Amino acid sequence: MVIQLKSTEDRWPPIEMVEVTDPNEIAEAQRRREQFDRNSDWLQSHFDDVYTPENRGKIVCIAGREAFVGEDVLEVVARARAAHPDDDGYFTMRLARDKKVIVYAS
Amino acid sequence: MRVDGEWLHCVDGGIRPVVRGEVLGGDGQWHELLLLVDTGADRTVLSAGEFRQGQFVPVETDRRISGVGGLVESVAVDTQLRLKRSDGQQVLFRGQFAACTDPDALDMSILGRDILDMFALLIDRRADLIAILGGQHRCTIQQGPS
Repeated sequence: MVIQLKSTEDRWPPIEMVEVTDPNEIAEAQRRREQFDRNSDWLQSHFDDVYTPENRGKIVCIAGREAFVGEDVLEVVARARAAHPDDDGYFTMRLARDKKVIVYAS
Repeated sequence: MRVDGEWLHCVDGGIRPVVRGEVLGGDGQWHELLLLVDTGADRTVLSAGEFRQGQFVPVETDRRISGVGGLVESVAVDTQLRLKRSDGQQVLFRGQFAACTDPDALDMSILGRDILDMFALLIDRRADLIAILGGQHRCTIQQGPS
Protein backbone atom coordinates (compact mmCIF):
# COMPACT_ATOMS: atom_id res chain seq x y z
CA MET A 1 0.00 0.00 0.00
CA VAL A 2 1.14 3.51 -0.64
CA ILE A 3 0.14 5.89 2.08
CA GLN A 4 1.25 9.47 1.78
CA LEU A 5 0.59 12.18 4.26
CA LYS A 6 -0.94 15.25 2.79
CA SER A 7 0.15 17.39 5.68
CA THR A 8 3.74 18.50 5.96
CA GLU A 9 6.02 15.83 7.38
CA ASP A 10 7.35 18.08 10.14
CA ARG A 11 3.93 18.06 11.75
CA TRP A 12 4.67 14.48 12.77
CA PRO A 13 7.14 14.24 15.62
CA PRO A 14 9.60 11.33 15.42
CA ILE A 15 8.65 7.99 16.88
CA GLU A 16 10.60 7.01 19.98
CA MET A 17 11.68 3.42 20.48
CA VAL A 18 12.03 2.04 24.01
CA GLU A 19 12.84 -1.42 25.29
CA VAL A 20 10.36 -2.69 27.85
CA THR A 21 12.25 -3.87 30.92
CA ASP A 22 9.55 -4.24 33.58
CA PRO A 23 9.22 -8.03 34.10
CA ASN A 24 5.61 -7.73 35.25
CA GLU A 25 4.69 -5.76 32.14
CA ILE A 26 6.46 -8.29 29.94
CA ALA A 27 4.72 -11.21 31.65
CA GLU A 28 1.34 -9.55 31.27
CA ALA A 29 2.00 -8.85 27.59
CA GLN A 30 3.10 -12.44 27.10
CA ARG A 31 -0.13 -13.70 28.67
CA ARG A 32 -2.22 -11.55 26.34
CA ARG A 33 -0.09 -12.59 23.37
CA GLU A 34 -0.63 -16.29 24.04
CA GLN A 35 -4.38 -15.71 24.10
CA PHE A 36 -4.13 -13.57 20.98
CA ASP A 37 -2.17 -16.28 19.19
CA ARG A 38 -4.79 -18.86 20.07
CA ASN A 39 -7.56 -16.62 18.74
CA SER A 40 -5.64 -15.74 15.59
CA ASP A 41 -4.79 -19.37 14.91
CA TRP A 42 -8.43 -20.28 15.42
CA LEU A 43 -9.49 -17.73 12.81
CA GLN A 44 -6.91 -19.09 10.38
CA SER A 45 -8.66 -22.44 10.49
CA HIS A 46 -12.24 -21.10 10.42
CA PHE A 47 -12.24 -18.66 7.50
CA ASP A 48 -15.14 -20.31 5.79
CA ASP A 49 -17.28 -20.13 8.91
CA VAL A 50 -16.54 -16.42 9.43
CA TYR A 51 -16.13 -14.94 5.96
CA THR A 52 -19.64 -15.72 4.81
CA PRO A 53 -21.51 -13.54 2.32
CA GLU A 54 -23.75 -12.14 5.07
CA ASN A 55 -20.74 -11.19 7.23
CA ARG A 56 -18.81 -9.32 4.58
CA GLY A 57 -18.31 -5.64 5.36
CA LYS A 58 -18.98 -6.25 9.06
CA ILE A 59 -16.72 -6.26 12.12
CA VAL A 60 -15.59 -9.52 13.68
CA CYS A 61 -14.16 -9.92 17.17
CA ILE A 62 -12.40 -13.18 17.95
CA ALA A 63 -12.38 -14.08 21.64
CA GLY A 64 -12.19 -17.44 23.34
CA ARG A 65 -11.72 -19.02 19.92
CA GLU A 66 -15.17 -17.85 18.93
CA ALA A 67 -16.29 -15.24 16.39
CA PHE A 68 -18.66 -12.39 17.20
CA VAL A 69 -19.89 -10.42 14.22
CA GLY A 70 -21.75 -7.14 14.02
CA GLU A 71 -21.90 -3.66 12.56
CA ASP A 72 -20.33 -1.72 15.43
CA VAL A 73 -16.93 -2.54 16.87
CA LEU A 74 -17.78 -1.50 20.44
CA GLU A 75 -20.96 -3.55 20.46
CA VAL A 76 -19.17 -6.59 19.03
CA VAL A 77 -16.33 -6.32 21.55
CA ALA A 78 -18.82 -5.93 24.40
CA ARG A 79 -20.55 -9.17 23.40
CA ALA A 80 -17.23 -10.99 23.03
CA ARG A 81 -15.96 -9.72 26.40
CA ALA A 82 -19.21 -10.70 28.11
CA ALA A 83 -18.88 -14.23 26.74
CA HIS A 84 -15.15 -14.54 27.46
CA PRO A 85 -14.24 -12.10 30.24
CA ASP A 86 -10.92 -13.83 30.96
CA ASP A 87 -9.68 -13.58 27.40
CA ASP A 88 -7.62 -10.40 27.01
CA GLY A 89 -6.20 -11.63 23.71
CA TYR A 90 -9.30 -10.77 21.73
CA PHE A 91 -8.93 -8.81 18.54
CA THR A 92 -11.12 -7.26 15.89
CA MET A 93 -10.96 -6.84 12.18
CA ARG A 94 -13.21 -5.70 9.40
CA LEU A 95 -14.28 -8.42 7.03
CA ALA A 96 -13.57 -7.20 3.51
CA ARG A 97 -16.68 -6.52 1.49
CA ASP A 98 -15.22 -8.23 -1.55
CA LYS A 99 -12.41 -10.51 -2.49
CA LYS A 100 -10.15 -8.07 -4.26
CA VAL A 101 -6.60 -7.21 -5.02
CA ILE A 102 -5.45 -4.71 -2.41
CA VAL A 103 -2.73 -2.24 -3.28
CA TYR A 104 -4.36 -0.19 -1.16
CA ALA A 105 -6.95 1.24 -0.02
CA SER A 106 -9.56 3.94 0.41
CA MET B 1 16.77 -7.29 18.05
CA ARG B 2 14.48 -9.39 15.95
CA VAL B 3 10.71 -9.28 15.58
CA ASP B 4 9.14 -12.06 13.57
CA GLY B 5 6.05 -11.58 11.48
CA GLU B 6 4.15 -14.05 9.39
CA TRP B 7 2.43 -14.54 6.07
CA LEU B 8 -1.16 -14.41 7.16
CA HIS B 9 -3.94 -16.10 5.27
CA CYS B 10 -6.54 -13.36 5.39
CA VAL B 11 -10.25 -14.03 5.45
CA ASP B 12 -10.69 -12.67 1.93
CA GLY B 13 -8.24 -15.22 0.55
CA GLY B 14 -5.21 -12.93 0.35
CA ILE B 15 -1.89 -13.93 1.90
CA ARG B 16 -0.22 -10.86 3.37
CA PRO B 17 2.83 -9.96 5.50
CA VAL B 18 1.78 -9.03 9.03
CA VAL B 19 3.16 -8.69 12.52
CA ARG B 20 1.20 -9.17 15.69
CA GLY B 21 1.36 -6.32 18.17
CA GLU B 22 -0.61 -4.30 20.63
CA VAL B 23 -1.62 -0.69 20.93
CA LEU B 24 -2.35 1.30 24.07
CA GLY B 25 -5.87 2.66 23.80
CA GLY B 26 -7.22 5.91 25.13
CA ASP B 27 -9.01 3.70 27.65
CA GLY B 28 -5.65 2.72 29.15
CA GLN B 29 -5.97 -0.87 27.95
CA TRP B 30 -3.63 -2.71 25.60
CA HIS B 31 -5.43 -3.98 22.51
CA GLU B 32 -4.06 -6.79 20.40
CA LEU B 33 -3.92 -6.12 16.68
CA LEU B 34 -2.56 -7.33 13.38
CA LEU B 35 -0.42 -4.87 11.43
CA LEU B 36 0.14 -5.14 7.71
CA VAL B 37 3.86 -4.68 6.99
CA ASP B 38 3.80 -1.99 4.32
CA THR B 39 7.02 -0.48 3.02
CA GLY B 40 4.96 1.79 0.75
CA ALA B 41 3.28 3.53 3.66
CA ASP B 42 4.94 6.70 4.97
CA ARG B 43 3.33 6.26 8.34
CA THR B 44 1.84 3.67 10.64
CA VAL B 45 -1.95 3.93 10.45
CA LEU B 46 -4.58 2.50 12.74
CA SER B 47 -7.74 1.29 11.07
CA ALA B 48 -11.02 2.99 11.89
CA GLY B 49 -12.04 -0.08 13.87
CA GLU B 50 -8.94 0.09 16.06
CA PHE B 51 -9.41 3.83 16.48
CA ARG B 52 -12.96 3.39 17.69
CA GLN B 53 -12.22 0.30 19.78
CA GLY B 54 -9.30 2.02 21.49
CA GLN B 55 -11.42 5.06 22.31
CA PHE B 56 -8.59 7.37 21.35
CA VAL B 57 -8.79 11.10 21.77
CA PRO B 58 -7.31 12.72 18.66
CA VAL B 59 -4.61 15.32 19.16
CA GLU B 60 -5.27 16.67 15.68
CA THR B 61 -8.27 16.14 13.50
CA ASP B 62 -7.33 17.74 10.20
CA ARG B 63 -4.91 15.12 8.92
CA ARG B 64 -5.51 13.43 5.62
CA ILE B 65 -3.73 10.46 4.12
CA SER B 66 -3.80 9.33 0.55
CA GLY B 67 -3.65 5.97 -1.10
CA VAL B 68 -4.59 4.59 -4.46
CA GLY B 69 -8.23 5.47 -3.90
CA GLY B 70 -7.55 9.09 -3.05
CA LEU B 71 -7.63 11.12 0.11
CA VAL B 72 -8.93 9.62 3.33
CA GLU B 73 -9.93 11.49 6.45
CA SER B 74 -7.76 10.66 9.41
CA VAL B 75 -6.69 11.98 12.77
CA ALA B 76 -3.48 11.93 14.78
CA VAL B 77 -3.34 10.13 18.11
CA ASP B 78 -0.67 10.03 20.80
CA THR B 79 -0.17 6.41 21.74
CA GLN B 80 2.21 3.48 22.06
CA LEU B 81 2.65 0.35 19.98
CA ARG B 82 4.41 -2.74 21.28
CA LEU B 83 5.93 -5.63 19.39
CA LYS B 84 7.23 -8.87 20.80
CA ARG B 85 10.87 -9.65 20.11
CA SER B 86 12.00 -13.14 19.26
CA ASP B 87 13.80 -13.37 22.62
CA GLY B 88 10.51 -12.81 24.45
CA GLN B 89 11.22 -9.19 25.37
CA GLN B 90 9.10 -6.28 24.21
CA VAL B 91 9.94 -3.21 22.19
CA LEU B 92 7.75 -0.16 22.47
CA PHE B 93 7.20 2.69 20.01
CA ARG B 94 5.88 5.92 21.42
CA GLY B 95 4.66 8.91 19.47
CA GLN B 96 2.00 10.25 17.20
CA PHE B 97 0.28 7.87 14.80
CA ALA B 98 -2.36 8.34 12.16
CA ALA B 99 -5.76 6.71 12.52
CA CYS B 100 -8.38 6.38 9.80
CA THR B 101 -11.86 7.50 10.60
CA ASP B 102 -13.46 6.00 7.51
CA PRO B 103 -14.35 2.33 8.15
CA ASP B 104 -14.14 1.56 4.44
CA ALA B 105 -10.58 2.87 4.07
CA LEU B 106 -8.61 0.06 5.72
CA ASP B 107 -9.48 -3.50 6.67
CA MET B 108 -6.32 -3.81 8.74
CA SER B 109 -3.95 -1.43 10.53
CA ILE B 110 -0.63 -0.70 8.85
CA LEU B 111 2.95 -0.75 10.06
CA GLY B 112 4.61 1.96 8.00
CA ARG B 113 8.06 3.41 7.48
CA ASP B 114 7.97 5.71 10.50
CA ILE B 115 8.77 2.50 12.39
CA LEU B 116 10.16 0.24 9.67
CA ASP B 117 12.90 2.72 8.73
CA MET B 118 14.56 2.08 12.09
CA PHE B 119 15.26 -1.52 11.05
CA ALA B 120 16.32 -3.89 8.35
CA LEU B 121 13.32 -5.73 6.98
CA LEU B 122 13.17 -9.18 5.45
CA ILE B 123 10.05 -10.10 3.49
CA ASP B 124 10.50 -13.44 1.78
CA ARG B 125 7.41 -15.27 0.63
CA ARG B 126 9.34 -18.24 -0.72
CA ALA B 127 11.06 -18.80 2.61
CA ASP B 128 7.86 -18.04 4.57
CA LEU B 129 9.78 -15.32 6.41
CA ILE B 130 8.97 -11.88 7.79
CA ALA B 131 11.69 -10.49 10.07
CA ILE B 132 12.32 -7.01 11.43
CA LEU B 133 15.99 -6.74 12.42
CA GLY B 134 17.77 -4.18 14.56
CA GLY B 135 20.61 -3.90 17.04
CA GLN B 136 23.12 -6.69 16.61
CA HIS B 137 21.05 -8.64 14.10
CA ARG B 138 22.22 -8.52 10.50
CA CYS B 139 21.28 -10.25 7.30
CA THR B 140 23.54 -11.45 4.53
CA ILE B 141 22.75 -12.37 0.95
CA GLN B 142 24.35 -15.52 -0.34
CA GLN B 143 24.32 -17.10 -3.74
CA GLY B 144 23.10 -20.66 -3.50
CA PRO B 145 24.35 -23.61 -5.52
CA SER B 146 23.47 -23.36 -9.17
